[in-house]
Amino acid sequence: MRFVVEYTKEERVKYISHLDLMRSMQRTIRRAELPIAWSRGYHPHPVMAFASALPVGMTSEGEYMDIHLLEGMDIPELEKRLNRALPKGITVKQAVAVDEKVPSLMSLVERADYRIVPEDPEWDWKPAVDVFWSKPEIWVEKKSKKKVSSINLKEAVRDIRACGEHNRELFLSLPAGSSGNLKPDLVVDALLEGKDRALSFCRTGLYLRKDGKWVTPLALGKQEGGIG
Amino acid sequence: MLDRKLLDRVLGQVSRPVRYMGNEYNMVEKDPEDVSIRFAFAFPDVYEVGMSHLGMKILYHLMNEREDTYCERVFAPWVDMEEKMRENRIPLFTLETRDPVSKFDFVGFTLQYEMCYTNLLNMLDLAGIPLLAKDRTQQDPFVIAGGPCAYNAEPLADFLDLVAMGEGEQQIGELLDLYGEWKKKDGDRESFLRQAAAIPGVYVPQFYDVTYRDDGQVESVNPNTAAAPDRIAKRIVRDLDSTYYPDRMIVPFMDIVHDRIVLELFRGCSRGCRFCQAGMIYRPVRERSMDKLLELADKLVKNTGYEEISLSSLSTSDYSRLEDLVKQLMERFRDKRISLSLPSLRLDSFSRDFIEEIQKVRKTGLTFAPEAGTQRLRDVINKGVTEDDLVRSVTDAFVSGWNTVKLYFMIGLPTETEEDLQGIAGLARLVTDCYYGLEREKRQKGLRITVSTSSFVPKPFTPFQWEPQNTMEELREKQGFLRKALRMKHVEYNWHDPELSFLEAVFARGDRRLGAVLLSAWKNGARFDSWADQFHMEGWMDAFRQNHLDPGFYAYRKRERDEVLPWDHIDVGVSKAFLWKEKEKAGRGERTPDCRVSCAGCGIRGTWEGIC
Ligand code: SF4
Repeated sequence: MRFVVEYTKEERVKYISHLDLMRSMQRTIRRAELPIAWSRGYHPHPVMAFASALPVGMTSEGEYMDIHLLEGMDIPELEKRLNRALPKGITVKQAVAVDEKVPSLMSLVERADYRIVPEDPEWDWKPAVDVFWSKPEIWVEKKSKKKVSSINLKEAVRDIRACGEHNRELFLSLPAGSSGNLKPDLVVDALLEGKDRALSFCRTGLYLRKDGKWVTPLALGKQEGGIG
Repeated sequence: MLDRKLLDRVLGQVSRPVRYMGNEYNMVEKDPEDVSIRFAFAFPDVYEVGMSHLGMKILYHLMNEREDTYCERVFAPWVDMEEKMRENRIPLFTLETRDPVSKFDFVGFTLQYEMCYTNLLNMLDLAGIPLLAKDRTQQDPFVIAGGPCAYNAEPLADFLDLVAMGEGEQQIGELLDLYGEWKKKDGDRESFLRQAAAIPGVYVPQFYDVTYRDDGQVESVNPNTAAAPDRIAKRIVRDLDSTYYPDRMIVPFMDIVHDRIVLELFRGCSRGCRFCQAGMIYRPVRERSMDKLLELADKLVKNTGYEEISLSSLSTSDYSRLEDLVKQLMERFRDKRISLSLPSLRLDSFSRDFIEEIQKVRKTGLTFAPEAGTQRLRDVINKGVTEDDLVRSVTDAFVSGWNTVKLYFMIGLPTETEEDLQGIAGLARLVTDCYYGLEREKRQKGLRITVSTSSFVPKPFTPFQWEPQNTMEELREKQGFLRKALRMKHVEYNWHDPELSFLEAVFARGDRRLGAVLLSAWKNGARFDSWADQFHMEGWMDAFRQNHLDPGFYAYRKRERDEVLPWDHIDVGVSKAFLWKEKEKAGRGERTPDCRVSCAGCGIRGTWEGIC
């Protein structure tokens, strides 16, 4: 049985790396005593997969992982057991049963949204956002492990808006997943034009396209008539 | 109060901020308002090293069982974090509440190795606590230390208010009880220290005066108050089954050095290796029962979710029911896919079947520690391993599918000659021969032998406490010799930095005058000295010069029988007379049998009638 689980990563655990998180989830699943499917090899671990790595220092309101159980399980029971076994600061919001044939979350997710809030209570994002939209193109360097490439943010960014009270919050919608990934700090650096600011980053959700609409991976659930 | 926003900004700028985050599974959360005693358990190294340490896990959970106490953790911030903390005036804080360590009642350091001493000073400084015990006032915490290096804490005497000798499980409770009472009465610091000195095993360095002879040797160590005993005897717990052992342990997010459940099978070691301090100071052997261990294993697996259990002790294979225990654990946790690891496993005592059994569990390298290259020198150090043992074990291991062997040796041991060094290379060759002596289809491809040498550091409370250490030049020559001698196929050679071993030897057998050297070295920038990339010898040599002390006096000097040793006022239960007798036997190359064969009369039996 395959399940997609939606969970959060909150302030108190925001400095754990993706690898730390994976280890922690494996141990959580052991503590939760789920009838888990095991990987092969000398050091078997529970079979699981994550939709997207969350950068160190960032909180999230919507992360997703795939887990495989040897038997079916009541969704509320699964959620309850996981939440009891999770470290505080990581909370399962919802789980859905998903058909085995659905491709990996990593290959499906195409968009990530972020909310960026400065420490400065007076801060207003509007001027920077207006400048962004007024420019015809904005080229920045994108470094990956292997190479440095140039990209035009005007093309890459899906949406960018100042919002919240006095425009203190920045909403960013960026491409994500194996089809192309853009880190939010790259965009924010361009907006601030190199000025240093104390900011907190929160990923508010991950999305994939289904029937021409943006939906969260929970929409892959069987009862919602998921793919396959 | 700490500026949490500022701290958060700083954490965003340092490497591995998770080291300072806390909030791990099983971290204890209490409201500081609800307790009367706050204890900052300090490990003078980085998080991933400190969190691997068993003693800390035990005492952390033990203290937190008390309603009146909140024990929190603090580690040495790595150099980049230290820089940011100093730049932003962030004081040293605990992981649990992020409160400044300076407002705690106690700061307790565990001293696992000598080369962490400058980290201790640095942490006190970052906390804003006066470095010298005599400068501390009513608002400051009491600084206490324990752990193996605390048995000769003389080099740190100026910085410590209290030292706890031996196993802390009972003692810490007595100390906290006393503190709770004292705090209610609002007494002065001195009155607390006086009362604490009456708790067995508690050492208050400032209550002792040390005098020196003209030649630099210690002349006498005497209490300067009636509150302090002449000698401080270490504490031990009699019965491990009835002694507290946590049934949960913090599960770090970060990948730490030893990231697994630790089951402590027993304390002490019966082998009596003459260079080994742990083998002497942790006497006598006390085992935990198998039932208790299985019960703990069940709970720990449930409460931590760890995928591995490590059976830990000084010489794990000496546990009386090891085969049984391993089989039962494997059976119990097979379905949960939990693996077992057995560090410090001596294969000389095992059957082939058993080796095959554990091989199913974990197929990492096989370690073997002959410590010396010839039988003669192994007799001198009383290491009961023979060439036949090695041949038999590695052959069995190769047949069972192992192809990686690690061999551990010590160089610079008393009486060592070139022949003994040659013997190290000889044993490496012997292992290779064992491998090729097997038919091709009986062995795995890809033989790898790693030979590692550490350099002998004479330690207090061992038969070799009177012995000189080899000079750094001698050690370098010996390493050079081995580099050539070990140029063989399949063999890789690792060695230790002689400068570090030298400083270790200085501080292991140091006296109080070295406190000034520590202070100077720290001011010269020394910290994280056990990290090769942070270690700078010049700062240390300069510190010795500044204080007109010759480090060679401590490391290279042969002590006479009647010399007053700086740690003679500490009683670890093993008598000085026994240690001297062992030293003489070493000189004659005579072995002393394992305690399980016959009692050598080390003195423990007199103190702890009935357990030994
Ligand atoms: S008293 Fe005898 S048996 Fe006990 S530790 Fe000492 S030598 Fe060994």
